[in-house]
Amino acid sequence: MGIITIDKSDHLFWLGRYTERVYTTLKDYFKSADLMIDSDPDYYKVLCRKIGIADVYGSSGAFKRKYAFDETNPNSIISSLNRAYDNAIVMRDYIGTETMAYIQLAIDDIKNAENSNSTIADLMLVIDHILAFWGCVNDGIDDEQIRNIIKLGKGIERLDLYLSLEKPAHEVQMVYKRMKGFLSKAKLRYDESVLYTMDNMLSSPDFSYDNVKNLLRKLILS
Amino acid sequence: MNDLIRNAETINKLLSRYGVKFGIYKNGEFREQLFPFDPIPRIIGNDEFSYLEKGLRQRVDALNCFLSDIYGKKQIVKDRVIPEEFIFSAKGFLVPCDGVTPPKGIYSHISGIDLVQSKDNNWYVLEDNLRVPSGASYPMIARELQRRSAPDAFTKNDVIDNRNYADLLKEVMDHVNTGGINVILSPGRYNAAFFEHSYLAEKTGAVLTTGKDIVCENDNLYYIDYNGKKQRVGAVYRRISDEYLDPMTFYEESVIGIPHIFEAYRKGNAALLNAPGNGVADDKGIYYFVPKMIKYYLGEEAILMNAPTYLPYYEKDMQYVLDNFDILVIKDVAEAGGYGVVFGSSLTAEKKSEFIALLKAEPRRFIAQEVIDFYDLDILDENGTKVPRKADLRAFVLTGRTTKVWASGLTRFSRNPDSFIVNSSQGGGFKDTWVLSR
Repeated sequence: MGIITIDKSDHLFWLGRYTERVYTTLKDYFKSADLMIDSDPDYYKVLCRKIGIADVYGSSGAFKRKYAFDETNPNSIISSLNRAYDNAIVMRDYIGTETMAYIQLAIDDIKNAENSNSTIADLMLVIDHILAFWGCVNDGIDDEQIRNIIKLGKGIERLDLYLSLEKPAHEVQMVYKRMKGFLSKAKLRYDESVLYTMDNMLSSPDFSYDNVKNLLRKLILS
Repeated sequence: MNDLIRNAETINKLLSRYGVKFGIYKNGEFREQLFPFDPIPRIIGNDEFSYLEKGLRQRVDALNCFLSDIYGKKQIVKDRVIPEEFIFSAKGFLVPCDGVTPPKGIYSHISGIDLVQSKDNNWYVLEDNLRVPSGASYPMIARELQRRSAPDAFTKNDVIDNRNYADLLKEVMDHVNTGGINVILSPGRYNAAFFEHSYLAEKTGAVLTTGKDIVCENDNLYYIDYNGKKQRVGAVYRRISDEYLDPMTFYEESVIGIPHIFEAYRKGNAALLNAPGNGVADDKGIYYFVPKMIKYYLGEEAILMNAPTYLPYYEKDMQYVLDNFDILVIKDVAEAGGYGVVFGSSLTAEKKSEFIALLKAEPRRFIAQEVIDFYDLDILDENGTKVPRKADLRAFVLTGRTTKVWASGLTRFSRNPDSFIVNSSQGGGFKDTWVLSR
């Protein structure tokens, strides 16, 4: 084991990205659902703008249903989870059946939540299983490079989303620092000059979120 | 046993958790389905298994001798044991394989032999599968999960542990490996048996590939890593049909094969498991001759019986088939997976005369068999009630340094009370197969 091809590195990387996308967007979805109860019923529009997706929902109720459960919408949480599964299933020999099972369980959770009376509370199980997935990645995958490619995908996706969601600067800086740790261990090709510039930018507390985001897209070389 | 039945739902949930699925195309759409599992195992006693083991080893050894002969001297044809038209008209006889000897001279490394037990307790071989037989992974993982959910059932019964299948497979791959890594070549995620491909890769430590990462250079196969470094490939357990394996030799429009892989194999630089061209030996027409092959190559009487079979190709057999059409099952030799099977009794008068005309026009295309009265196995129906259903057994026989029979197998059953068809693609389920150590 441990022979990583371009195809396999791609699947591992996107497994990390999609899994993180589900995790972070779901946490923000919970926050949005809370805000829409009484503070700001139209808050979903802000969320759509921040994460760069079209507001095709029309109402907070439609948003709550469709953003979580609509498999025909590529931006929905379930679609991201399905894409994580697509990348996991072809990497069973690298990540192991046990690790893969947590993605399947998260899919089962989201499908069960769709038909339940306590949708949001039941969606918390998805978070549980994603955390279990990460635990299994850490515990069950011996190959350091494989583990770190998945984590690099996770780190880059989280940084991308934190920038989009306009999280506080110190949180973005922390996420960036963690991502850099995975970058060196993943042994994928990246642009050192981009990293150098990002280092400089993020050393200042009033960095431009848009500039960092644009640079981030250029970091990993194909 | 009650523990197993009580925990049936748990096992099916765990099978879902671990992605134990098979793919199916329906109305042009790909879907993954769970392979329904029944908790009541088929139990085979030790004496009975010893008998099956001897018969299966004998059969597979003879089939390997046949393949070696057919792609070599063709002595069995020269000696008129098998008419040559049965060889050369068989879809599975591949001209490019003629004269090619695979590494260590083994053609069928993994053989799936389908058997049924009749009500008088006799076992009959229904079919030999020597190309890409699938299904071993399902009882492997089901056993793993049943041991967790009902450990007492295994403490109280002396069941031989079947979780060594991956070790047996690895042993075979290592034995024929010409120097390099072992890979499992899969058509990809949307293949019906993709779960099995990925699970066996995980369990044997072989690299799972769809072939995109493999190149053939100077008649050697290499696996190319992320940095462009080449690793030699010594054995390819391919789960791709012969015709798609190499566009340079077989079906030229294949996009799932590896160009020039056949050349690497022909020169002895990589082993292919199973060898291309094996289809000539598991042809339903050739099946009739397997007992004769055993006598011819091994000088022994066949231990395992074929289902009584008639070849309309022979005038005498054609007459028998016409006289007894209503009590026979007719099989199209070119079909598989439960397709192309016609029960004489099920046809209307009009369909029957149409079919007989076809049979007379293309006698080589069909075989006819007596309908074996299967020994039914109990399964649990949707209400948890035990009901009898038709079931077969796919035994897995692995040939490396020696020929070994896996002490388990895939027991498939029909969920339809009126059906003999057990294939998963047609709604069948599976159960574990226990071989007892006493």
